[in-house]
Amino acid sequence: MELVLAILITVVGASTPILIAALGELVVERSGVLNLGVEGMMLIGAIAGFVVQFHTGNPYLALLCGAAAGMAASLIFGFLTLSLSANQTATGLALTIFGTGFSALAGSSYSARPVTLMQPLFPAEFYSSPIIRVIFGYSFPVYFSFVMVVAIWYFLHKTRAGLILRAVGENDQSAHSIGYSVIGVRYLAVMFGGAMAGIAGACFPLLLTPQWAERMTAGRGWIAVALVVFASWKPFRLLGGAYLFGLVMTMELYAKAGGGPLSAVPSELWAALPYIATVVVLVLISIRRDASTNAPACLGKPFLPAN
Amino acid sequence: MQFRLEKRREPSKAMIYITPVVAVVLTMVVGALIFSLIGYDGIGAVREIFLTPLTNSYKWQDLGIKAAPLIIIGTGLSIAYRANVWNIGAEGQYVIGGLAGTGIALLTYGMTGWWILPLMVLAGILGGMAYAAIPALLRTRLKVNEILTSLMLTYASVQLIYYLIRAPWKDPMGMGFPQTRLFSEAARLPTIIPGTIVHLGVPIAIVVGIIAWFIMTRSVFGYRMRVVGAAPHAARYGGFSENKTIWLAMLVSGALAGLAGVLEVAGPFQRMVPGFPTNYGFTAIIVAFLGRLNPLGVIVAGVVLAITFVGGEVAQTTIGLPNAATGIFQAMMLFFLLAGDILIKYRLRRVAPQPSVGAA
Repeated sequence: MELVLAILITVVGASTPILIAALGELVVERSGVLNLGVEGMMLIGAIAGFVVQFHTGNPYLALLCGAAAGMAASLIFGFLTLSLSANQTATGLALTIFGTGFSALAGSSYSARPVTLMQPLFPAEFYSSPIIRVIFGYSFPVYFSFVMVVAIWYFLHKTRAGLILRAVGENDQSAHSIGYSVIGVRYLAVMFGGAMAGIAGACFPLLLTPQWAERMTAGRGWIAVALVVFASWKPFRLLGGAYLFGLVMTMELYAKAGGGPLSAVPSELWAALPYIATVVVLVLISIRRDASTNAPACLGKPFLPAN
Repeated sequence: MQFRLEKRREPSKAMIYITPVVAVVLTMVVGALIFSLIGYDGIGAVREIFLTPLTNSYKWQDLGIKAAPLIIIGTGLSIAYRANVWNIGAEGQYVIGGLAGTGIALLTYGMTGWWILPLMVLAGILGGMAYAAIPALLRTRLKVNEILTSLMLTYASVQLIYYLIRAPWKDPMGMGFPQTRLFSEAARLPTIIPGTIVHLGVPIAIVVGIIAWFIMTRSVFGYRMRVVGAAPHAARYGGFSENKTIWLAMLVSGALAGLAGVLEVAGPFQRMVPGFPTNYGFTAIIVAFLGRLNPLGVIVAGVVLAITFVGGEVAQTTIGLPNAATGIFQAMMLFFLLAGDILIKYRLRRVAPQPSVGAA
């Protein structure tokens, strides 16, 4: 029982950053923009969050600075793809290369310096029993991610602003001709996606490993991008997908820790499993139905007003 | 004074060639500024990264062996990207190519014969092709996005190295280090200039680039790639099947990445080590773009990126610039290049300020 609870708590920790990053990317893609720089923005958020946590010890400030750093990085992408209509795929890749280099440079003097992990949101008396701990024993970003799933769903489907955002993603020319600023809406979406990726990145030093390591997000940003496809651009499916991947990654941790039937398989296979699982999941989703049918119609296409 | 973008009647040929040069120059200027602002010797950094590798003839051999894999992989990617096939998993195909070559080298360990190296090269090419075939199959059969699958397979391929050199391929005399044994003489790539580290891969890279240029400009294959990328509808009318093009693009880019991998393991490394994936596959993406997806341009761009690699190492020892700075310079180059792309289709026009208020 104890073990099951411990596994559950680890799964939540592993899933949260992917979920937060993927939620941001979902909003970006719904507006018709494909930002493949999630991994880079996450790394920039991770180093920003780490540095702030290291110097101030205030994890909320660290998350906020992670968000700001991610948003700043997303503006590079936004300027190139939205204002200069640069190729989105190439620009996203460039952003990831930039984020990898930038975070490694900024973090080069911080290696092997520990920070304190973020404390649970609720006071300890609240979850004295292990069962309650599974519900109330987490730190702020976990609850934030759940709230954002609902909030983004509500925003996209129940508000006027969400309708405009979807319209921009589905038919930019019409949205433009009715008088909405396609570029403006997309800028806001890209900035939101950057902030979410930054928070997700900051979760790595704050929730998972309390130190800085180069490339510490280890491809989780790419998995987040894949999850958006997997979830067919729907927030609640994203929740399920992120937890599925959190479970796979947790299995890796337990296999590496040794013991049990899991350690019979080479640890490298476990380490490769999240990536292989991503491919398998993308395959399954496209066998089930034509995956492209739910994609926003203008996804990845630069907007050039007809006149 | 205000500027306005005005659409050109037809894309500017001149801008296609001018913008990469401008991007490199801007990277040097802005890079010097930024690195000065964050407390490094910015001008020194630019000098060491961009100029020292060129002025110091002792560094030329390093340039050659760093440029070779970048040119080989970049050539393959330039062909794929021309056809709008986004293979970004070249790093993984490079790794599998290297592993396939390693397998042959270990199988033939202790043997001699001229046939060993060609066999390794063949295995490397086939390995890279096979690994690129997975995203190609998934894309053509199931419409799975090749960007994500090729990239995920890259992460998986690195784990395959770790497994192989930790268990079945581990050097029995390696004192526990996770690496294979040193290849025997017949499985090592010969150096072509005595007394240097310049190996056979360097001329191969140049030949690959030139052959690719001929094929892309003078053959039906090249025409097909360019038409499918530039005008997919027209290509369909012209009878070029989209799926076949995707297959060709993935296989060619995978084969070349695999070739680079086997040349790298048989040349500079001479054994498989955990540090084999050196991001050439990712940097080659920048090379392909900076070379304007033109194989001859890729040769030049490969040298430029090799300069930043070699220069980054120089700057690390001479002025203590962290190695990560190289990546920032490389990414900035790509940013400026992509930003400059707009000047191919548009021109800047100076316009008189509008007297009306609220002009944005």
